[in-house]
Amino acid sequence: MNPNLLAVPVALPLFAAALLLAVARWGGRRAITFQRLVAATTLTINLAAALGLTQHALSGHRIVLQMGGWQAPFGITLIADGLTGILLTLTGIVALAVLPFAIATIDLHRERMAFYPLFLLLVMGVNGAFLTGDLFNLYVFFEVLLMASFVLLTVGGQPAQTHSGIRYVVLNLLGSLVFLAAAGIAYGTLGTLNMAQMAERLESAPMAVRTLLAGMLLVAFGGKAALFPLFFWLPSSYHTPPPAVTALFGGLLTKVGVYTIFRSFTLFFPDLLSAWQPLFLGIAGATMLIGALGAMAQPTIRRVLSFHIISHVGFMLMGLGVALQGNGLGVGFGLAAAILYMAHHMLVKTGLILAGGAVEIDMGGDRLQSIGGLVGRRPLLALLFFLSAISLAGIPPFSGFISKLSLLEITLDTRHWTVAAVSVIASVLTLINVMRLWREAFWGTYEHPGRLRPWLLDAPVRRWLVLGPIAGLLLLSLGLGLFGERFFHMTTIAAQQVLDRDGYIAAVNPVNPESVAAPSSKEGSD
Amino acid sequence: MTQLILALTVGILFACGAYLVMRRGQIKLILGLGLLSHGVNLLLFGSGKLTLGEPPIFTDKKNFLVELATRQLADPLPQALILTAIVISFGITAFMIVLINRRHTITNSDVVQGELVPLLLEGDPFSGDSSTGQEENGFDWLAYEVDEIYERGQMGTFWARVSSDADESAALEREGYDQR
Repeated sequence: MNPNLLAVPVALPLFAAALLLAVARWGGRRAITFQRLVAATTLTINLAAALGLTQHALSGHRIVLQMGGWQAPFGITLIADGLTGILLTLTGIVALAVLPFAIATIDLHRERMAFYPLFLLLVMGVNGAFLTGDLFNLYVFFEVLLMASFVLLTVGGQPAQTHSGIRYVVLNLLGSLVFLAAAGIAYGTLGTLNMAQMAERLESAPMAVRTLLAGMLLVAFGGKAALFPLFFWLPSSYHTPPPAVTALFGGLLTKVGVYTIFRSFTLFFPDLLSAWQPLFLGIAGATMLIGALGAMAQPTIRRVLSFHIISHVGFMLMGLGVALQGNGLGVGFGLAAAILYMAHHMLVKTGLILAGGAVEIDMGGDRLQSIGGLVGRRPLLALLFFLSAISLAGIPPFSGFISKLSLLEITLDTRHWTVAAVSVIASVLTLINVMRLWREAFWGTYEHPGRLRPWLLDAPVRRWLVLGPIAGLLLLSLGLGLFGERFFHMTTIAAQQVLDRDGYIAAVNPVNPESVAAPSSKEGSD
Repeated sequence: MTQLILALTVGILFACGAYLVMRRGQIKLILGLGLLSHGVNLLLFGSGKLTLGEPPIFTDKKNFLVELATRQLADPLPQALILTAIVISFGITAFMIVLINRRHTITNSDVVQGELVPLLLEGDPFSGDSSTGQEENGFDWLAYEVDEIYERGQMGTFWARVSSDADESAALEREGYDQR
């Protein structure tokens, strides 16, 4: 297979966004239709490329692209294995599901303020972060997706958006600075920023360097992933932008942080994965519990769902914590379960935020106290919300069940009773939470607090642009649950690939700069 | 000696930046973030070996490996990294300044208050009236549409949100992204 396909998920959204930015301010109705079409086409091609990559990667290969033909440590490496492929596919699905909802609900002002280019740039940053094999390049892609998310979060300039935007920008900027400092220290001590070569050289690096780097990366990525002590930027900002933006953020952003934690700790510090296991499991348990408990106290639908994101990140980290262990079950089972959980979470969470957003738009507000009785008015929306909610809570036959079950199985298998108990408690709390949402928003007498006549779900085409993606994501979740065995097999392959460090290093095959002997060869370049 | 000075400078920049970021003033916040990013840039700079007066230019192109082994050249890579980092932090700082200016026009204060307190007291300056209960519903992100477009009944057809382009720009003018 042609490795140049690896560049498609990064280059295509970038060029499409550049094209759209050029025409963004023309502003007429036709220009906006054009933007929508270009965005939809781009995301479809992106998903197709991601599917192709995944299919190839899951047959046991790693696809490596050395940009510009420069040998590994000199140029930038893009590498895709099973985990990358799965996440790229999920990113494509989430983006493609949010786009129709955004087309139907985003207002004209935002569309004219370059909403679609920013959407594409966010997808590009996420894809790039999944694909890159270079630590500094990872920083750059992080900044790309953060810049896009900053603007998506604050465009519109409403007071609440501005307030939460400042908090979000400052905390993410601080995390990025920690990451950048870690990259500097890595270059100073290891002399390379290529991730494969870093992994090679970290084996013989002094313990102090390893611990320092691991700690700084954990703080930086943990901040992005909204892990326990660093999660507070998430619930204070995710409820302010339009629901389509929240769904996109909730589906994609924290998962980039989780992915980078997975990648860095399996590749750079596999020994710390067992040495720091109590730390990982402790953070995971605290994150799950805080997220679920925090959600209990929230007054609006989107705030509850934001706290659930935090809770679920804890589940994923729990899988990483037991990745290198296994008694009855094989080593890597935990990681496979965590990847399956990520897939489940990205699909269901996006769908549920979209459904909550539809409720919010239909009601003119999502404060739980002042809404109610939607089940008679909007039966289809109510059904979709209910099914998404029980999938999130982990009721069979949806995907939540199988992914939570496999995570629970491995933690019990490795005798981590406490964290297993905490995860069960967090699951029950999640169930209570989503049932609370259901009871407050859908049951009871019909209350409509907004000044507006509800219109969105009566509009002929928009109605399906809103409900279609939710139903689609729900069907995918159902498929993930019904064919769980097959998908778990896929994630097992991906987990084995992630844990196989030597294979990763051999695939990238970085050369030592000093050993590039021939005088005719190119000099070291940035 | 140079290394010591560099390390101390990085440390002082970090300390001052961290102190300023934790203050309540928004201008101090921006200054603190600036100092922090300078500190990180300097740290990146020090991650290549510090050399004086040894630019990474080979005098003899044929035998650059010999030169590489004998001279201690400056490492160009950290400088390229710093350049990238400077551009990124410049962009984010500019964005922050705009954002904080925006908030300053809303709250008329430099001090960071608790969440939404000044807004609840003063109402939403963009909606024109403070008694709508919008904040209470947590539903102010649609305020533009609410007032200008939907209630005028222009939502009838799918693609036609606004009747014409001229109308649209007039609405934009009236609403204004810039309130002044």
